[in-house]
Amino acid sequence: MESNKKYWKGLEEYKNTPDFVENNKNEFAEPLPIEDVLSEAGLSTVTPRRDFLKALGFGLGAVTLAACQKTPVHKSIPYLIRPEEVVPGIPNYYVSTFKGNPVLVKTVVGRPIKIEVNPNAGIFSTGTDAQAQASVLDLYDVSKLKNPLLKKEEKTLWSDVDAFVKGELNKAQASGKKIRIVSSSLNSPSAKAVVTDFAVKYPTTKHVQYDAVSYTGIIKANENSFGKAVLPKYNFDKADLIVSFAADFLGTWISGEEFTAQYVSNRNHKSLEKGKMSRHFQFETGMSLTGTNADTRVPIKLSEEGPALITLYNAITGNNLAGGALPNNVTADKALKLVAKELTQNKGKSLVVSGSNDVSTQILVNAINAAIGSYGATIDLDNPCKRYEGNDAEFAELLNEMNRGEVAAVFFLNSNPAYDSTKIEDFKSALSKVALKVSFSDRVDETSDLCDVVAITPNYLEAWGDANTYEGFYSIVQPTINPVFNSRQAEQSLLIWSDAAVQDYYQYVRNNWEATILPTVGKTWNDLLQSGVVNATAKTAGAYGFSMSLDAVATSIANSSKALAKGNGTDALELHIYESIPMRDGKYANNAFLQELPDPVSKVTWDNYLALSPKQAEKSGYKEFDVVTVKGENGYSIDLPVLIQPGQAMGTASVALGYGRSKVGKAGNNVGKNAFPFTSFSNGTLKYGTTVKISGTGMRDELAQTQTHYSFEGRNIIREATLKDYLKDPAAGSGNHHKHKVYDLWTTDKHEKLGNDWVMAIDLNACTGCGSCVVACNVENNIPVVGKDEVRRRREMHWLRIDRYYSFNDEKTGHDVTEEKEIAHMENLDNVSVVHQPMLCQHCDHAPCETVCPVLATVHSSDGLNHMAYNRCVGTRYCANNCPYKVRRFNWFNYWNDSRFDNYLNNEFTQLVLNPDVTTRSRGVMEKCSMCIQRIQAGKLTAKMEKRALKDGDIKMACQQACSANAIIFGDKNDPNSEVAKALKSERIYYVLEEINVQPGIGYMTKIRNIDSETKEVHA
Amino acid sequence: MSGHNESILREPLITGKNITYAQITDDILLPVENKPNRAWWIGFIISLCGATLWVVAVSYTFWFGIGAWGLNKTVGWAWDITGFVWWVGIGHAGTLISAVLLLFRQNWRNSINRSAEAMTIFAVICAATYVVSHMGRPWLAYWVLPLPNQFGSLWVNFNSPLVWDMFAISTYFSVSLLFWYTGLLPDIATIRDRAEGMRKKVYTVLSFGWTGNVKTWQRFEAVSLILAGISTPLVLSVHTIVSMDFATSVIPGWHTTIFPPYFVAGAIFSGFAMVLTLLLVARKVLGLENYITMFHIESMNKIIILTGSIVGVAYLTEFFIAWYSGSEYEQYAFINRSTGPYWWAYWMMMTCNVISPQLLWFKKIRTNIAATWILSIVVNIGMWFERFVIIVTSLHRDYLPSSWAMFYPTWVDVSVFVGSIGLFFTLFLLFLRVLPSIAIAEVKLLLKSASEQAKLELIKDGHLDKEQVAEYVESLDKFDSVKQEEYAKI
Repeated sequence: MESNKKYWKGLEEYKNTPDFVENNKNEFAEPLPIEDVLSEAGLSTVTPRRDFLKALGFGLGAVTLAACQKTPVHKSIPYLIRPEEVVPGIPNYYVSTFKGNPVLVKTVVGRPIKIEVNPNAGIFSTGTDAQAQASVLDLYDVSKLKNPLLKKEEKTLWSDVDAFVKGELNKAQASGKKIRIVSSSLNSPSAKAVVTDFAVKYPTTKHVQYDAVSYTGIIKANENSFGKAVLPKYNFDKADLIVSFAADFLGTWISGEEFTAQYVSNRNHKSLEKGKMSRHFQFETGMSLTGTNADTRVPIKLSEEGPALITLYNAITGNNLAGGALPNNVTADKALKLVAKELTQNKGKSLVVSGSNDVSTQILVNAINAAIGSYGATIDLDNPCKRYEGNDAEFAELLNEMNRGEVAAVFFLNSNPAYDSTKIEDFKSALSKVALKVSFSDRVDETSDLCDVVAITPNYLEAWGDANTYEGFYSIVQPTINPVFNSRQAEQSLLIWSDAAVQDYYQYVRNNWEATILPTVGKTWNDLLQSGVVNATAKTAGAYGFSMSLDAVATSIANSSKALAKGNGTDALELHIYESIPMRDGKYANNAFLQELPDPVSKVTWDNYLALSPKQAEKSGYKEFDVVTVKGENGYSIDLPVLIQPGQAMGTASVALGYGRSKVGKAGNNVGKNAFPFTSFSNGTLKYGTTVKISGTGMRDELAQTQTHYSFEGRNIIREATLKDYLKDPAAGSGNHHKHKVYDLWTTDKHEKLGNDWVMAIDLNACTGCGSCVVACNVENNIPVVGKDEVRRRREMHWLRIDRYYSFNDEKTGHDVTEEKEIAHMENLDNVSVVHQPMLCQHCDHAPCETVCPVLATVHSSDGLNHMAYNRCVGTRYCANNCPYKVRRFNWFNYWNDSRFDNYLNNEFTQLVLNPDVTTRSRGVMEKCSMCIQRIQAGKLTAKMEKRALKDGDIKMACQQACSANAIIFGDKNDPNSEVAKALKSERIYYVLEEINVQPGIGYMTKIRNIDSETKEVHA
Repeated sequence: MSGHNESILREPLITGKNITYAQITDDILLPVENKPNRAWWIGFIISLCGATLWVVAVSYTFWFGIGAWGLNKTVGWAWDITGFVWWVGIGHAGTLISAVLLLFRQNWRNSINRSAEAMTIFAVICAATYVVSHMGRPWLAYWVLPLPNQFGSLWVNFNSPLVWDMFAISTYFSVSLLFWYTGLLPDIATIRDRAEGMRKKVYTVLSFGWTGNVKTWQRFEAVSLILAGISTPLVLSVHTIVSMDFATSVIPGWHTTIFPPYFVAGAIFSGFAMVLTLLLVARKVLGLENYITMFHIESMNKIIILTGSIVGVAYLTEFFIAWYSGSEYEQYAFINRSTGPYWWAYWMMMTCNVISPQLLWFKKIRTNIAATWILSIVVNIGMWFERFVIIVTSLHRDYLPSSWAMFYPTWVDVSVFVGSIGLFFTLFLLFLRVLPSIAIAEVKLLLKSASEQAKLELIKDGHLDKEQVAEYVESLDKFDSVKQEEYAKI
């Protein structure tokens, strides 16, 4: 209905005055000219033009402002043809070999990112060492050369290099001068064949093998004693009694991870459950990893090592060799008598090893081993170890040849004598007399810097090759990525330079295997690429008798011993030079993971130091971290900070090799000091001991240690028992007999774990403390490396650490003293026991970290895990404060994008090493062990895809799979048949800090020591 | 209020002769209505330098990360939370004076409540800056608030003492601010009435249209009482909750049920010390001796002895309980406090908080301005060390000896703390310039009954007991603002 009523808004409207009409028209001051614009005529009016300009001005301004923001351009190129088998998110695994140890390489979208164990490789399937774990980082090292260098010319072409080298080789050939290929021990059959072929083309060629840390002494001794110039195969698993004279066989000696697996098989929970545990005596100067694991460890001076062996020999055989007296070391004397007694009781089940590189000493060791029937039982000379074949004398002779000007060409393959030889300056001057100097190296290292040609080589992950670790045991090296830089394998270069028929090294390796190795075992090349190893039936190890006169040997030992014993015990000390566990001989010095791996004994990172015993430091007047000048007999001197090392023999000092690289890269340059020049060459082998004078500098240099308090203060976080007590009562020392009543506020609030319950058991008797789990964890979980300064500030990021505690046995009371204040009053600190305790997030069921987080960034899962949601974390750090285990780590800085942390991930190339399954954490965020949740998820997914239930062993933690000792057992507690569920039922299981009822998910098994009243008597 | 006579035995709350209401207004508004003097400028410039240092240090931390501080994997809190608790504690005196003493009708609070409340607000601001700046990702600080969000159903953790803390501090700040501002309204109106030009406009807005009629005053009184009622539990709750940041943890040395009362006592202790530190100077520089008298100073000193002794008993109780508990970790934590690497911090705390305040038992010392001022600073040093001892010495050696570590502060740690003091004083000095440092209206209430001149009138009237008068006159001895010769004649 329409209304005709009209309402006026006011009298003005009613009256319709002219004023009103005018005002009414202007009621809206400036009507929008929409109608005008829309009509065609509008375009010609004035207003749209001005509006257009306004709009234009605004638009221009807005666009300009918007353009100020630099929008990142992410190029993504889709696959045109998808590479076979490469699926983002699904890793591929390839067998390969690292340093003679078979491994499995995990690659993700074509990038090798992790080293795992090769399950087909027998003893090597138990674990890998820290170097293998860290080796993936070396592939992505920015310090490497991108092109070969010819006369230091960058962007050199390989064709120029080839022309130059061939020309020089032809000149050398024409002049009849010598050609030398210098390498560290080459255990690759194909590479050896290449060298042989090269020598055929250039007949003056000789292959000189030398190892920075040499085993020539053992090889020569075996040649002398048994006519076999080999490094034997040692079977620590067959030895019930192990006596080691300074051989760090669980660490650096020959093949640490392999010996660890053997050694632990007689000492772990499975062996203990059968009531069996080997006994281990260690006589050594510095505290080695092996020494920390020994049941009885006796500190002896370097100069006492020879006399000790003579004493032992005399005691076992009843002979009376001269020089077997230890007048100043009653403890060692008593220990040797006990050892002799036990060795005679355990004939055929014992093993005596010595870390010495002295031929005479090793001959004596051979005599002892023959006397106790080790050959054919614990020592196998018929399937020898091929890891080390170096000959110190040949390298010494090379220096003479070069000095005499007889050498026209020298090739350095996997060797760096300008850093790791005895007389570096002599080597350099001798080298300058050689016309053609070629280095096969991936960077300009100390030796390459002196060479005309640096023929850059790929990382082992980019290369073909093979290895022959033991007689009859072969493994393959296969590339997992195309060479990133313009590198070429040394073998291929040699093939090209010798105009070989087959110049492609892949083809060469394959031909070599198909011709020699594969037919003997009836396998094909493809089988090999899948399994990675070929294991021919081992020969039966023969028993060898020893029937030579030892008089000359004893005289030689006595002389060397006398030469060492010149120290006065205050400022002149015997210097023990050893290979450090993280750094080894220094080849991997640019690997930030290894630099930041704490030494298992001293917990020092990023440095070497002079280790002195507490009493020695007191006597010489030095405090910890005082910088002292160490001057060798040959005049070489370096300044090192002092580290107080319990267990170090009085009158001695220890220094680690592998540090002090000057040309290795950002991470490793000038870290620590080079100790190689302290070594000396005498009687045909290198000697790793000398006498030094130390003097104070008045300076102080704090070492970067990840642990500074060394005693466990009598707390029951460490629980241990003697084997005797354990055999009587498996729960001995575990505290399981008198448990306290648990008072719980939340008795009605139980969270059922219906699916899985992920837990761990850690066998303290198996863990040797080597640290390969730490590196494995770092690599797997993208854990930042923080550098020396930050470690010094106690900010290392390791999710998994190994706590090392010392305790001292009081000879008067026979009790273990573990409290710092009491230790300070002790007279004798030589009788030190060590325990290693891997410590990581305990995934407590009553986690104290979870209740205090204000934003619920850390919460519990229904399968027993303590989750950490990085994205939710605001960084109050309360969780870390409230963690009784102190396993939470805070990102103090943006480690992967901060120029101050340049030695790690601060570039795009190195970032390729990151595991894409684990996010990187930003600054201000807490992180910690996630129990490799990405591995748990992957395992669950695989089982789901295969439509089956998860099996025990489907999922392995990164730390677990790296552990050669199998000390870490992970699994589902809800599965009664799982290995971990069984292990957790052991009477030895205890939970650290269980009394505060945080209900940790990781059970530890007590440390068992095979000691008794007789071994205690040694130190009394 | 007025209209009845106060007992002659009570000491006067306002001294001086011929004090009128106008005189009070003039005296108190002197710094507000005039150009600042040299002393103010010197203080202000120094404080501003401190505040600038704070800005630099906090910006540095924000830019590089918390790594700029000396914290490590073992000691995750140190100077930051020490500073936070210290400032929150200092704030407590203001609330106690304004709320609790109002409810208990302690009229002497009228002269000091304004400054004390201002101090509370500035101290809580300083504390709050620590709450944000100690976070690893401070730009996400709002995540600890239970805000509706788009992260799914993400909520805060109501189990976490840090969330309680957030509630406690924000409530405390808002209530304190409200209480303070409500009390300011009549005084702002006074300034407004006397001001001209731009200042008048500003103070007009700030006075919320205060008219001063009876109804307004009645409502004002009612609101003050209600706010006092709300604030009173906060005196206890805020520091109780702050103490639970530690008490609910599992760390030996933190996990202690004694913390709530012990922290509250400590807070009042340090708060009164800070009030004294500030007012002893302000009183002199601003010429307010007649309003903040020796009676006030002595009263506050008495509270300091009381609370200091409570704190001392708490320290000893902690040791007793550590021994009595039989828990080796607990025992070690306390032995380590007193004899470990940080023994000096512990003994610093013991000396400053327990031993030196006992000097105040001597009347000569507690009525001596210089001694009181020095002791007030000593107490605040001691209270800083108390928090440092609790936080750092408990954390640095807890359960597993492998992780034991030392904490060394960096320049940034020191600058943030020193800077926060600068910030505090900058705010306080600005406050003195723009708002009356004594509650004018409330002081005027006392003039007719509790002032020296009113009592003198009573004495002159002569209806009083002679002994009581003599006692009163004797009590005036200690007053530095009372002319004794006046009484000699009587």
